[in-house]
Amino acid sequence: MEALSLRDDLGDRAAAAGQNSLQLIAFSIGEQTYGVEITTVREIRAWNGATPLPNTREYVRGVINLRGTIVPIFDLRARFGDGQTSPTKNHVVVVMSVGDKWVGILVDAVSDILTVNRDDIHNVPEGNSIDTELLNGIVTHESRMVGLIDLQAVVSGAKADA
Amino acid sequence: MSDLDDFKATYFDECSELLTALEEEFAAIEAGERDSDRLNAVFRAIHSIKGGAGAFGFSALVGFAHAYETLLDYVRDGRVELTDEVVSLCIRANDIVADHVNAAQTGEALDADYGAEEKARFDGLARGDSGEDDEGGEPLEDFDIDFTPVMVNLGHAEGEAAVEDVFDVPPMAPAEGSWEIRFTPHRALYARANDPLLLFRELAALGTMRVKARMGQVPPLSDFEPFAVYCSWEISLSEPSLTEAQIREVFEFVDGDCDIAITQAGAVPAADLEAMEEDLLADAGEADLSSLLALTEDEMAMPEPEAGIASLLDFAPEPKPVAASKQDRFEEAPSLSFADLAATIAPTPATAPKPVAVAPKAMVPANSDGEESHRSNGVQSIRVDLDKVDRVVNMVGELVITQSMLTQQMDETLRARYTELVRGLEVLAQTTRGLQDSVMAIRAQPVKSVFSRMPRLVRELATKTSKKIKLETIGENTEIDKTVIEQLSDPLTHMIRNSADHGIESPEKRLAAGKSETGTIRLSAEQAGGNILIIVEDDGAGINRERVLKLARDKGIVAPDFTPSDEQIDQLIFAPGFSTAEAVSDISGRGVGMDVVLSNIKKIGGSVHVRSWTGKGCRMTLRLPLTLAVLDVMLVKVGESPYVVPLSSIVETMQCSRASFERVPSGGRVLQVRGEYVQVIDLGKRFGLAKPTGTADQFVVLCESEGSQKVALVVDDIIGQQQVVIKSLEENFERVEGIAGGTILGDGNVALIVDVQGLRTTHLHQNAA
Repeated sequence: MEALSLRDDLGDRAAAAGQNSLQLIAFSIGEQTYGVEITTVREIRAWNGATPLPNTREYVRGVINLRGTIVPIFDLRARFGDGQTSPTKNHVVVVMSVGDKWVGILVDAVSDILTVNRDDIHNVPEGNSIDTELLNGIVTHESRMVGLIDLQAVVSGAKADA
Repeated sequence: MSDLDDFKATYFDECSELLTALEEEFAAIEAGERDSDRLNAVFRAIHSIKGGAGAFGFSALVGFAHAYETLLDYVRDGRVELTDEVVSLCIRANDIVADHVNAAQTGEALDADYGAEEKARFDGLARGDSGEDDEGGEPLEDFDIDFTPVMVNLGHAEGEAAVEDVFDVPPMAPAEGSWEIRFTPHRALYARANDPLLLFRELAALGTMRVKARMGQVPPLSDFEPFAVYCSWEISLSEPSLTEAQIREVFEFVDGDCDIAITQAGAVPAADLEAMEEDLLADAGEADLSSLLALTEDEMAMPEPEAGIASLLDFAPEPKPVAASKQDRFEEAPSLSFADLAATIAPTPATAPKPVAVAPKAMVPANSDGEESHRSNGVQSIRVDLDKVDRVVNMVGELVITQSMLTQQMDETLRARYTELVRGLEVLAQTTRGLQDSVMAIRAQPVKSVFSRMPRLVRELATKTSKKIKLETIGENTEIDKTVIEQLSDPLTHMIRNSADHGIESPEKRLAAGKSETGTIRLSAEQAGGNILIIVEDDGAGINRERVLKLARDKGIVAPDFTPSDEQIDQLIFAPGFSTAEAVSDISGRGVGMDVVLSNIKKIGGSVHVRSWTGKGCRMTLRLPLTLAVLDVMLVKVGESPYVVPLSSIVETMQCSRASFERVPSGGRVLQVRGEYVQVIDLGKRFGLAKPTGTADQFVVLCESEGSQKVALVVDDIIGQQQVVIKSLEENFERVEGIAGGTILGDGNVALIVDVQGLRTTHLHQNAA
C-alpha cells in the first residue's frame, strides 16, 4: 500500500489510471473516514444552509441552489443513524452524481484524495445492517479504515412514510 | 446515416402538419365549402406525403396515397362527383394515411391489406367514371417513385458552351407521342419551394426529352430583381404511346403556380417555331447573363456570347454519355440558386472569359442564405430545437427575477437619492417584460395541433360504440406553451373518450330522453387571465352519482359516515385508485383513467374540475398555466422557510388570530370568512415545521383552485408578490407531497412552491380515512 501511494505521489499517472487502482475522495464524519470514487464527485462546497423539504426523512437536510439547479442534501451522519449534524460554516457539502441525478452529502470535512488498490477492497462484515446497506466495501489506507459509500443506497428511500 | 435520420424526422414533422391541414380542409369540405382551393390543398398535402414516402421507401404508404391521390385528381377534374359518400371515404382515407405515416415512423408493421378495402373503393370510383382511361387503374407497382431515370445531360462541365439540355435522341423528328410543352413558372412556384428541375426529371422518366430555356424576359442587370421569374422552358418529349394526361400528371403538383401549354409536336405551327427562335435570338445580346439563367437549375457554365447563341440555335451538340456524371450533377443541381447566380455574375465582365477556365469557378456551392431568401417569400420560419428555446426562456426568467429583485431592494431613501437609477430600473423592467413576452411567444402554439386529432378519435369512438356523435371545436387558435400542448394530448383523449363512451347515450336512449339522436361533444379553449381553460362538454347522461359514491365507499375512498356533496362526488372520479378496469364497466358515468388525466394535468401545473348535470350532460374544465417557465407567486414564510403560493390560486390574504379557527367534529379546523366556512390547513404543521404555538396573529392565504372549495393556508408571514422561474425538484430528487416544485429567490436560496390542489386532496383523503 505504501509503495503504491508513494508512486502516485510521485505522479505516476499510469499507475493511477491503471485498472487496478481507484482514486477516492475521503471525508470524515466524527472519527470515521469514508470515501467515494473521485469520478462521481462534481463539486465540494462549504455548508451554507438548505431549504428544508417537508415530509422527508430526517437525513434529508433540504435543497440548495447549485447554479440554478435544485440539489437535495443528505446528512450522512443522520443517514448512519447518528442523529443530525449540527452544521457550521466549516462543514462541507460534497456534490456527486448518482445516475443522472446530482445530490449533495453533508460531511464534517473532506480529508484527502486516496489511491487504493481494488484488490484491497474488503467486503463489509455482516452484522450491522446499516453498514452493509450503505457501504460497498471497506478498504485500509495507511492503517485507517475507509468505508466506501454506496451512494445509490444513501439517497434512496428519502421520502418519509406518510 | 444521421443525415437521413434528420431528413426522416423533418419528413414526419411535415407529415403531421400536413395531416393536421387535411383534417381542417375536410372539416371545411364537410361543412359545405367544396371549392377547388380546398381540393387542391388536399391534393397537394397527399402528394407531398406520397413524395416523401417514396423517397424513404415506405411503399405501403406510397401505394395507398397514390390510389387516394388518383381519386382526388378525378374529383378535381369533375370526373368523380364529390358526394357525401366520397367525402366520408376521404376522411377515412386521411385516417389510414395517418396510420401509415405512424407505422412508418414507429417501424410497426400494419396488416398487409390495411386500407385495401378503401383502396379498392378508390379504384372503383375512379374507374367507374373514367371509362377506358387506364390511368386510374394503373397498377401501383408501376408507380416509380425512385426517380432513377436521369437521362439528362445537364450541361457541359468541359465548357462546351451550351444552354440547353440534351438527351440521347436529337428531336425535331415529330413522331407519334411527341409533345411540346411550354412551361412558365410563376413566382409562387418558387415560393412554394418547388424546383423545375424535379419536374424535368419526372418528365425525363416519361420519354426522351430535350429542354430549352427561354430568356427573352431577362432585363438588364441593373433592373434585375432576384425574386422575379424571368425564365421559362420549352420541353419536347417523345415516347410512343405517351399521353397528354401523363404529362399533366407531372405538373399536377404545381398546378396553378405555372402556365403549361401542351401540344402535340407535329401540331406546333411553323410561325410559333419562328417566333420561338426570334425569342432566342433576342437573347443573344445578353447571352452571358441569360445563359447563366438558363443554367440556374442545372449548373453554371459560362459560355462566350457567340458560343451561347450558337448553342441556342444548334440543337444537338454531341449527345454525351452521362452514366458517370449524371449522378453528381443531380446532387449539385438543387443546391444552385440565385445566390450563385449573383456570385457568378460578378466575375463575368464584358470580356467574357473562356468558359473552360470559368466553369469550375462558377460552380460555387450554394450558400444557404441564398437558398433561404430564394425559397421563402411569405412568412419565414425556422425550426429550432426546443432545448435551445428552453435555455433562452430560462435565462430570460432569471433576468426577470434579477430585475424584480433589484427593484425590490431599492428602498425609499435610495429612490429619493438616485432618481436616474430608478428610471433606469423602470426601463429595464419594461424591457425585460417585453423580452419575456416575446420569448414566451416563441414557444406558444395554437391548441389546434392537439384539437385536430380529436375529430378522428370521435369518429372512431362513434363507430365503435354505434353512437352518433358530433364534435364541435371552439377557440382552436388559442395559443399555449409548446410543452403544455404536448402534455395535453393524453388527458384530452381520455376526457373525450369518456364523454363518448360513458357520457353520450345510444341514439335510442337519447330519443327516448327527448334529446336529439346525435350527441354533441364540445371542445373549447379560451384564455382566462394567466390561464388557459380547456373545456370538454357533452350533452350526455352526466355522472351517475349514486354509483360513483357506492363504488368510492366500497373502495374505502370515502368514509362510510361521510356524506360528500354532489360536487365532491363528481370530483371523486379523479381519485387515484378509483378507476380500475372493473370500475369502468360498473360505472355508467366516468372513470376510465381519469386519475391519469389529473396526474398529467397536475404535472404541468394545471387543475381539473368536473361538473355534471344528471341527464343533461357533463363538463370537464382543465385550467392550465400559459407557460411552464414563469409563475406569479406570493412569497410567504412558514417557520423559518420561504414558500411560494401561485398567485393564480390566491383569492385573498388576511390576518387573524388562531382563536378565530373553529373545530369541527372530525378534528379539522375551519375558518369563517364572510359567512362561509373554509377548511384550514396549517402549513407549518402540515410540513412538519411546527413552531411553538403561541396566540400570536397568523396570516392566512385564502386559496381556491378551479371550482373547488376554498382552503385557508395558515402561514407565519407574508412577504410579497413576485415572479419566479419554476425549477423541478424531481430532476435531482423526487416528488414531494404538497410541493409542486422549487424556485430560486433573489438571495440565491431555494423556496418551495406549495401545491394547493395537492394539499387539498391529500387532506380530504386523510379526513376520509
